[in-house]
Parts: sequence; structure tokens; C-alpha cells
Amino acid sequence: MNQPTMQIQEISAHPGPVPGEGTQRAVEVCKYIDVTTCIGCKACEVACVEWNDLTFRETSFDNTYQTMPSTEWNYWNLIKFVEHERDGNLMWLMRKDQCMHCADPGCLRACPADGAIIKYQNGIVDFQQDNCIGCGYCISGCPFDIPKFNPKTKKVFKCTLCSDRVGQGLEPACIKACPTGCLQFGTKEEMVQIAHSRAYQLKHQSGLANAGVYDPPSIGGTHVIYVLHDITNPELYSGLPANPVIPPSYTVWKWLAKPTGLVMAALGVLAVFFHRLTVGPKLPEGEEKRE
Amino acid sequence: MTNGWIDIKNTDMMLIMGANPAENHPCGFKWPIEAKLKRNAKMIVVDPRFTRTAATADLFLQIRAGTDIAFLGGLINYAIQNDRIAKDYLVHFTNAAFIVKEGFKLPEDGLFSGFDGQSSYEKETWNYEGAGAGRSKTPPESDHQPSAAGGVMGSATGGGHQAAGGPGAAGQGGTKPPPTMPENVAYDLTLQHERSVFQLLKKQFSRYTPDMVERITGVPREQFIKAADLFTSVRKGGDTKKAATIIYAVGWTQHTTGTQIIRTAAILQLLLGNVGRAGGGVNALRGHCNIQGATDMGGVFDIFPGYLKIPAPADTDLATFLKRTTPTPSKPGEWDSYNYWSNTPKFMVSFMKALYGDAAQKENDWAYHYLPKIDRKYSWTEMWDFMYQGKVKGLFAFGMNGVAIGPNSRKNIEALKKADWLVVCELYPEETSEFWNAPGTTPEEKSRINTTVYRLPGAGFAEKDGTFVNSARWLQWKYVALPPPGQAKVDQEILARIFLKVRELYRAEGGKFPDPIVNISWPYVTPASPSFTELAKEINGRALADLTDEQLAPGQTIKAGQQLPGFAWLRDDGTTACGNWLYSGSWTEAGSQAMRRGTDDPSGLGIYPNWGWSWPANRRVMYNRASCDVTGRPWDQERSQIWWNEKEQKWVGNDVPDFKADSNPADHMGPFIMNAEGVGRIFAPLAAFADGPFPEHYEPMESPIANPLHPQQSNNPIAQVYKSDADRLGSVEQGYDVICTTYRLTEHYHYWTKNNPMNVQLVPEPFIEVPAQLADELGITGGEKLKITSARGVYVAKAMVTRRIKPMMIDGKKMYQIGIPIHWGYRGIKEDQKKTGLTPANQLSPAAIDPNAFTPEYKGFLVKIEKA
Amino acid sequence: MSSSIEQYDEAARARVRRGELLRHSLYTRLLHWTVAISFILSLLSGFAIYSPWLYRWLTPLFGGGPMTRFLHPWFSLVFTIAFGFQFFNWLALMRWTSADRRWLRRLRAYVMNREARELPETGFFNGGQKLYFWLIVISTIIFLITGFPLWFDDVVPSWLVAVSYILHDLAALLMLAGLIIHIYEGTAAQPGTFHSMVDGTVTPDWARTHHPAWYSEVTGREEKKVE
Repeated sequence: MNQPTMQIQEISAHPGPVPGEGTQRAVEVCKYIDVTTCIGCKACEVACVEWNDLTFRETSFDNTYQTMPSTEWNYWNLIKFVEHERDGNLMWLMRKDQCMHCADPGCLRACPADGAIIKYQNGIVDFQQDNCIGCGYCISGCPFDIPKFNPKTKKVFKCTLCSDRVGQGLEPACIKACPTGCLQFGTKEEMVQIAHSRAYQLKHQSGLANAGVYDPPSIGGTHVIYVLHDITNPELYSGLPANPVIPPSYTVWKWLAKPTGLVMAALGVLAVFFHRLTVGPKLPEGEEKRE
Repeated sequence: MTNGWIDIKNTDMMLIMGANPAENHPCGFKWPIEAKLKRNAKMIVVDPRFTRTAATADLFLQIRAGTDIAFLGGLINYAIQNDRIAKDYLVHFTNAAFIVKEGFKLPEDGLFSGFDGQSSYEKETWNYEGAGAGRSKTPPESDHQPSAAGGVMGSATGGGHQAAGGPGAAGQGGTKPPPTMPENVAYDLTLQHERSVFQLLKKQFSRYTPDMVERITGVPREQFIKAADLFTSVRKGGDTKKAATIIYAVGWTQHTTGTQIIRTAAILQLLLGNVGRAGGGVNALRGHCNIQGATDMGGVFDIFPGYLKIPAPADTDLATFLKRTTPTPSKPGEWDSYNYWSNTPKFMVSFMKALYGDAAQKENDWAYHYLPKIDRKYSWTEMWDFMYQGKVKGLFAFGMNGVAIGPNSRKNIEALKKADWLVVCELYPEETSEFWNAPGTTPEEKSRINTTVYRLPGAGFAEKDGTFVNSARWLQWKYVALPPPGQAKVDQEILARIFLKVRELYRAEGGKFPDPIVNISWPYVTPASPSFTELAKEINGRALADLTDEQLAPGQTIKAGQQLPGFAWLRDDGTTACGNWLYSGSWTEAGSQAMRRGTDDPSGLGIYPNWGWSWPANRRVMYNRASCDVTGRPWDQERSQIWWNEKEQKWVGNDVPDFKADSNPADHMGPFIMNAEGVGRIFAPLAAFADGPFPEHYEPMESPIANPLHPQQSNNPIAQVYKSDADRLGSVEQGYDVICTTYRLTEHYHYWTKNNPMNVQLVPEPFIEVPAQLADELGITGGEKLKITSARGVYVAKAMVTRRIKPMMIDGKKMYQIGIPIHWGYRGIKEDQKKTGLTPANQLSPAAIDPNAFTPEYKGFLVKIEKA
Repeated sequence: MSSSIEQYDEAARARVRRGELLRHSLYTRLLHWTVAISFILSLLSGFAIYSPWLYRWLTPLFGGGPMTRFLHPWFSLVFTIAFGFQFFNWLALMRWTSADRRWLRRLRAYVMNREARELPETGFFNGGQKLYFWLIVISTIIFLITGFPLWFDDVVPSWLVAVSYILHDLAALLMLAGLIIHIYEGTAAQPGTFHSMVDGTVTPDWARTHHPAWYSEVTGREEKKVE
């Protein structure tokens, strides 16, 4: 739902300026996830389901502690469990997976429906199901496989970063529920700072030379950032892309080729119109009119 | 916990063992994380499985279930061998310097001195050596010669409550008075005397070498040394500033050696000087709420509220009972001992005044004769065994799914079939109230069950107010969130209405001894539903006459009828009534202290003195006198809890001193005021523990190997097992060659949340965690069904094949451990949909009992594993 | 099927009796307009989704965005099926011949309307019409192949959607270009042509002008060479 307390910065498939853009001071918000202190307790999963009153899914045993294979249209927050063995040392990685709220959201770029996806000035990317046409392009536009399609309602859903809570000055529900403090919420600047000092601590106190912060520049950074034991190999964490990109079809094609195509079509119409005025029609010739 | 949850943030080193706080105490686990983040504290996790706690640890070691004493004993040995000990602390705050009686024998052969050849110990030699009565206060350093131990003086006057023994101990007695601790204890501050506690300790654990640890526990020698070096590094180079904590839970208690495992940890912590200090301690993570409160309030068969002993038949009058249960100091003559249990008569009389009001008078021994006398053990498993034998005819099961929480569920189900009646007060239909519906019960069998089952609709935790007591001993008031639905009633109403009916019957019909029932004090506004505020006030205690105490509070008078400010005001003359002395101070004239929500923490140590209320006397860290050196200065100024203020001549500080406030350090009063010795017990004398004054590694009752320390005495010689046909133990020879342990998941709460769709969504089905190598040997993959068989039952569930449990080399043999989470049964969402449906996992576990705490050995028994 | 439909084409037969020539049977015309209408609907609904600049203009035609998205694949499916029939209906006529190659070489003159008549060997369809036909065939195949991943994009890998998305759009642009010319040629540029697709018949003059070889074939009269 559109949160009237937050100014919109970007609207999907919206020609012309975004109303209100730049009229209000806004700080970028950010969710901080310290994977190294996540205990996989799933309090965030429960909080998400509870706050958003999501329906329950039928799950089944899948040889893992992970609740289900991936996030779903009615399950927006999922801790992904990975058993990883390195030099005989076992690591049990637990990464909370949800919308990353990209600075340059692939979903929003891909979306053809005016106003179905909006990005607030504070960085939250929010789906507006009223405007969603159910085409599912956002699903393929997302480098993190986050938006999920509800086949019944033909709408796509994902984590809202609790825009309804944030709009009222509250932290997202998952943050509120996190018992260890591995989840924090604040301004992007602040969270990035905390993340880097935590990474520094991991490097120098816990012997994790590759510890680092995941805030991929390839999509302009994200409004959800991770502290990882090993930033050189984010794929380890249940396929976190090292270099997430929006499919070029949604960037180059959509914003360059498409308008070009339209202009060409308009020119085509003009051309035939011009042809009619200048060259004129080809009239059937009667035998009597033959030269 | 000696300390508290928040205090863990003050630590430098954590040993988490026998606990999985990330999964079972996730909210409290923020403090270990805080210590890591803010202090760069190190975390060592030792567990049979790589748990979610292990996932955040700096070092994880996989241990064989049930070998914790061997591991901890190894740590003790390492600390002593490498001089990683807190010498001053050890000498002055523990009984390390005390001399042990001649004739005491260490269990090199698996037995301490005094074994009766059957199932108990004669504890005469488990005692200190007495010193001469009138010893001068000369510096003891000068006379540490064996002569110091010369005068075994017959200070029989110094009776210790340790003489009390277990329930029934006094009952068997009669002819010979039980041995007591000497009033003056011989000691040697150099710790060199060969019978000094320290030398005995050193000798006892010298056998626990890294190699022996590896043989027993399966932890490779190098890994063990790495862990030992890391943990004891807090005392590296004589450092006294750092603090290490030990965190445990039911992973330690649920063994036939459970209590002694915790003892080993306590000894280690005393050795390193970590008890009583911020960031230190031996910290039990209590399970569900309100288990700490239940224990404090006497929810165990052999204690009254406040850990007061229950009288035995031999305690024919109050004086006899109090004489037996009130300890007298036992210490080196030059030292002082507060011996706080010397106040036992005040606590006891006030308790009886609370119970019986005006019916308790001096003339009738304060109604002492109304109290039940306990003639034998009535532990949980005992009760079921008696029911199985047909001797217990009925059971009230309130908030306890007895069939599921086992052990040996099949026996419990059979026991209920023999009962006449069963009353179950629960929120959901569950396994106990439907024991007759357990899988495998034929219609023909069902028709032969004559047990009448009464189901009472109870109220859930959110539907009741009252207090929860957390692991940190805090009483915190909670409010009703919702009224109980439908006909559900809060517990006190159900109990009160039953009680009133019973009392009516006694009044009408008399009976054998109606007095204890008809005379009970029942002063509640609504007798059929006493409010928790009334009960809480009654538990705190009030003055029955105007009270003054010039020493305690000059000029102050507590008027008759007023709430007591604390247990220091309790009297044994009938002028005070108090339901639980430990909780005295929780509801004063200023109101409920448990309702306080002050968030100020001036010291920054996480003490929060105005949040809730912590027993005893709002002290947040127990034995905090030990946070200072002998002269009363904190070991670490940055973590100052209390200190001696020379000018004011009293102990002051950020926390409430757990000590005699005006005891000058020069008087050398021991910081462990609840011990008659005043010091921490490395050697636990007399009847403190049933199975030895020092811990010794014994194999679980079902073990894959003979104890490498003493194969001829493999198990705890006095661990209790039952003799019924349902109580079978398996062995490797019978094919039970896999070690099995049971545990809980973070996603579920006992057997309750299988009724909650949210939790069911998180983990829908039972499973069995199996090492990948074992799965390969069995030719199974994840999700395939496994059949687990123990000598007592069969359990079938899907396999979770994982690398988080590795095969182990135990005493040179390759062995596997598997793990079973226990949360399922035959009633619940998925169970009712027939999507899963099982007999409880606990039908595998044995009813083998720790002789001290009577906890069954749920963790570490033997099973057979097959593809189902 | 086609022959049984023709019995309803009395109007066309009447015009033939008056001397006009039957150019498109009723069956052909029905197919053409089914193809045309379904294609226009597909195009409009598709273009609503194609571009943000058209979204708010075009979606109201179909009852809003979600309805547009819902209908588009079904319009397209109708188009594809109808065109499938048309394909077989016209396949024989659309064979590329040497005459078409010649026609193509003289395209410039054709566009500039320099010649009063088509080349004498221009048959039922000229080279341009055949080109347009094959363009539609190719585009339809592309539409079909790429349309399904886009239709069910929640179950296919996103790279496939991304690729399909481009090809689908390219095909649409090609089709659009062809369509503009087709409509122009069929209406304003060639009086009488629209009539042929509506009523089925053309005047002999029209036939002689635009499809001399076909004229000769159906009338048996040899057309004299212009030059």
C-alpha cells in the first residue's frame, strides 16, 4: 500500500515526472544483517508472517532446517541454511533472504504497469498490488529471485521492508523480533558504518580475513546489507550473486530500444501519410483510359 | 544461574556445553553475542551435534553424549598442570586448603571410600579433618605441617545440614546419628598437604589427560588442548582480571551423572576464580517458563518453597527437624562464616505461619505435625514406576504431558492403563489425556482400559497474570493479554475449587487426619479463585506483630499486617508469616517489586537494579563478595560489582552485596555464605552428593564402551534404574551400537506447538539427524524413513542426513551418534491430518536416574538404526 | 469447410454476375478479419504493456491493466490459430517466383507510383504481399515461442523471460511496420482493395492494374504490354 507519509522517488512504467519527487528531505534507510551472528532462529520469519497476516503454507520435510526452498508470495522472509565445509571446518551459514531493496531495482525497471512498483525516497521498494497487472516481468528483472507470483490473484508479492511500519517511524517487524541483534535498522550511512566496523572486527579478532560487507555496487547498492564471513564468495550463502545485475533487456532495451521503436512506428505512419499526399493512390486503370 | 543473562555480556570467555542457547534460549543468546561484539569474547561450544549455537562459536568440539565430566575433568587437569588457576581465590574463597579426613579414597577403581557394595555410600570419610577447638588466629602459613591436621577433634557439636542426607536418610538412621562436619577444620594454605582438597583434586583429575579425554569423549587430543588452552587463557600469566563463564542446560542434567557434571564445572570455575564475578559463574539456562519459579516454590518432591527440606519420619518434632536441617559453621578457626542457613528456623516457622495462620502456634510446634513426612523418594520417574506397579491409583497432570516427556513413554502409557483415574489440565488434547489412543493400541486393548480420564480446560500463559522467574532469578510480573477462552479457567481457580471441595468433604466426614486440610490458611477474597496478587503478597510475607530490629534498621517499626521488606526480618517466634523466604522482598509495602520496569543501569554492567526483582534480596550476581580480592578490592576495577568501603566500614557497590554488609575483610568471612564453610566447595563433604565428593566420569547406563578409567566399574554405581519388565537396558552386544541423544528445536516448544500452524509451518514433521557417513553405510538419503530401536521401543521418522554430526573415534572404535528432536506425538495439526503420527520419541529413552537430582538420562543412550 | 461457407456468399456472386471478379472467397475474408481483429487487439493490448507511454492510453480499452495482461495472450492465441488457417489457405499462392524477384527490383518505381500498372507477370499476390506474408509467418512463430515464457514467467528461468521479452518486442515492431504499410496499401493507396477484402470482388480494371497475370488467368484475356 502506498504510504502517504513517505515520498515516492520512482514509479514503475511512469512517463513523466514523479509527483513530489525531491520535495521532501529523506534519508535512506537500511536493514543490516550480520550473518555471522545470525542463529537461524526464524523469529524474523514468524514476525513477518504475523505482522503481515500472511496465510500459512503447507511445508514438508526437505532434509534441512530451512522452512521452505525459497521465499513465496505469502512468505517474504526466509532464512537460508547452508552447510559448508572448508579445510575440515564446518560452517553452518544462515542467511536471511528477503527483498534487498536495491537502489536500482530491477523489478521496477522491468515492470510495465504504471505505478505497480514504487521506490520511496528512503530507498524502500514497494509493490502496489492494486496496480499490478500480474505480468511477472519483475520476477525476471530481479537479480535475487525475490518477487513471487500468487497464481490465484495474479499479483506479485514480496517484502515491503514493512513500509507501513517505517512510514510510522517504526522498525520493520523482522528487526523488532530479532533476538541477537544481528538485524538492525537505521539510516544507510549508519548501517554501512556498523557493517564495516563489524567486518573489521571479524577480520582482526575472529581471524576471518575475507570478512566483508555485501552492498553490491552493480545495482547501486542495496537497502539491505549483509556482513559475511567471506565476501569473496557470496554465492556460498545460498546463491547470493557476487555481481547482481538487472537483465540488459530491462535496461538497454526498455529505455532505449523501445522508445526508438515507437518513434520509428510514428515515423512510419507519417511516411505513408506523406506518401498519400505526395505520390497519391494507385488508381485502377480502365481499358478506355489506356494510353 | 549464579549470574544472569545480561551479565554474560561482561564475559571474556564462554564455554557453552550441554546447552544450545541459540536454539533453545534465542532471546537470552543476545548476551553471548553482545560479549562477542563488545568485548571480543571467545565462545567455545561443545556438543554432540554442530548446533545453531556452534554456528556462531569460535571453536566447536563434537563430544560423545554423556562424557562431559571427562572433558571438564580434562580442563581441570590442564588448568592445574599449566598453572592457569586463580591462586588467591582458590586459597581464600574455596575449600582447597581444607584437609580431608584420613581414610577418604579417590575412585581410581571407580568407587569412593565407603561403598556398601550395593547402591549407596557410607559417607563417614567424605569429611574434613577437624583441627583443635581453640586454635589461635596465628598466621596459618607457619603451621601447614601435617601436624595441623593432627587434632581430629570431636567437634560433634558442629552439625552440618549436609548430614541431612537425602530423603529417607535420616529415616533409615535412628540408631547412629549421621556424621557431621567439624566445627574447626584443619587446613593448609600452601595447599601442599597430601590430603588437602587441592592435592586430592589434582590427583583425582591427573588421570584426565588429553589422551584419556580423547579416548572417552572422542574429542581429538589437539582439539581438546586447543580448547583447554583457550578457555584457561583467562588466567594466563597470573591474570586475575579476566572472567570466563560456563553456560549449560539440560544437556548436562539429563544424565545419570548430571549433577556431578555441573559440580565439575563449578570446581573448574572455582579453580579459575570465576564464580561471583561479573562475566563469570556457572550458569544454568532454565528451560521453559516458569521452571525456575517452580523449583524455587518447591515444585520438587523433597523440598518446600525456598529450598527448605521436607521433614522425614525420624524428625519427630520441630526441634529435631530443625536440628538436623540447620547447619552450623564448619571452617578454619581463624576464618569467619556467615552460614546463612543458620536462619533455617526463622524461614521454616514463618513458612508454617503462612501455611496454617492462627492454627500454627508455639504450643503445637507451629503445626509442624501437619506437614507431610517424606519416607522415601517420590521423584517423577518413581511416581510412574509406582503407577506401573499398580500402587499409584490416580494422577493429576497439570501443564505436564507426562506420556510425551517420558522417559520410557511406553511404560508410562502402560502405567496409566492401570490407574483408576487421570485428571489432565491442558490447553489442547494431548498424548497423556489420550494415552488410550496411542498408536498400536488395539480396540480390544482399549476396551480393557478402565481409567477414567477427566479433562480440565486450562488457561494459557497469556491468559494468566502472575510472575515468571527467569534463569537470572528475576521475578517479573506479567499481565493478562486475553481472557481464557470458553470454559477454560486459570490454574488457581481450578486448584482452589478442587481444594474447597476436598476441604468440605473433610469437614463433613472427618477422615483419618483432617487437621492439615481443614486448618489451612485460606484468606483470599474470592476463595474459589485466589488472585495472584494475594498469593504473591503472601509469598513475600508480612508482619503478624509490630516488629523492630535495632541492628537491622534502627528506629524502624514494621507494623503488624504490613508487608515485610525482606527475609532479614523473618522471625521464628510466630510474629512473621512468609510463603517463601527467598522471595521475601518481592512485594513490599512499596508494592510489587516484580512489576518494576526501571531501565537505569548506572554501572553499565547490566545490573538494572530497578527492573523486576531478583532473589535473593535483589542481588543480580550471587556470591558477589568473590568479585573482590581478600582485602575487598575488585579483581577488575572496570567490572566492579561491590567493594569494601573502609570509611563507612561496609560493603557497597553497584549490586546488592551478597554478604554480611559490615563484615570487615580482615575477619576473613567466606563469600559463599550459603555453605557452612563460607567457601566454595571443591570437595563436597558428607551427604552433599550421593555419588561422591568429587566428580568422576562414569559411562551412561547404556554405553558403547567400558569406562576406560575403570572398566570394572563403568557406570555410576548408585545411578538408579528400575526393575520392571518395561525397564530394559540395551548393549552393543545386543546390536544397540549407535549413540542417540534427544533435544529440542528452536521452532517448537515441547509438545505444545505442534498445535500451532505457524510452528508447524516452520518444521512440519519429526526427523532424525544422521551423520552423512552413516547414511551412506545404510544406503539412505535425506527424507527416507529410518527405524530406530532401543531396548524399550521403536521410533520411525524421516532421516535428516547431515555433515553436522561426524563419526567419532571412541576408545579406538569408530562410532556414530544420532539425534532426535522430541516435539511430536499422536495429537497435533499434522498428526490429526494423519500426515505424521508417531509414538513419542521418548519411548526410546531409559528411565535411568541421576541419584542427586533424579533426572532421567534422555541424552546418550543406545539404539539400533535401520532403513524403515 | 471453405466450400460450405461459400454458399452464404450470394452478394459476391451477384457482383460477379455484374462483371466483377471474385478475388477473396468468404472463407478467406473471414480468416483475414479474424486475423486482423485479433492481431489489432493483440497489438493494442501488447503495446499497452510494451511502453510506459502507451500504458495509460491503451489499458482502459481492455478494462484496465490486469485485464489487458489477462487478455493479451488469449487475443494472440486467436490470432495465431486464425493465421495458421490462413497460412495453409494461402501457402500455394505465396510461393516465391522469379516474377517476385523482378517485382522486388522495381520496388522503387512501385513505391513512387511511376508505373500505372504492375508488371504483367504479377499474379494473385505481388512480391511485397508475399514478403509481408512471410514476415507474419516468421513473427508469429517468434511470438508463439517467446509468448509462452512471458505468459508463464513465474515458472520459467528469468534469463529465458529476458530473452523472450526482446524477441517478442522485435517481432511486434516488425509486424507493426508491415501493418502500417499493409493498411495503407489496402485502403488509401489502392482504392478498391479494401472492397475486395470486404465484399470479395474487384473490378476487372483493378485486377488488370494490380495483378495483371491473375487477371489474365481468371478472364482468359491476354493483357497487352504497356511498352
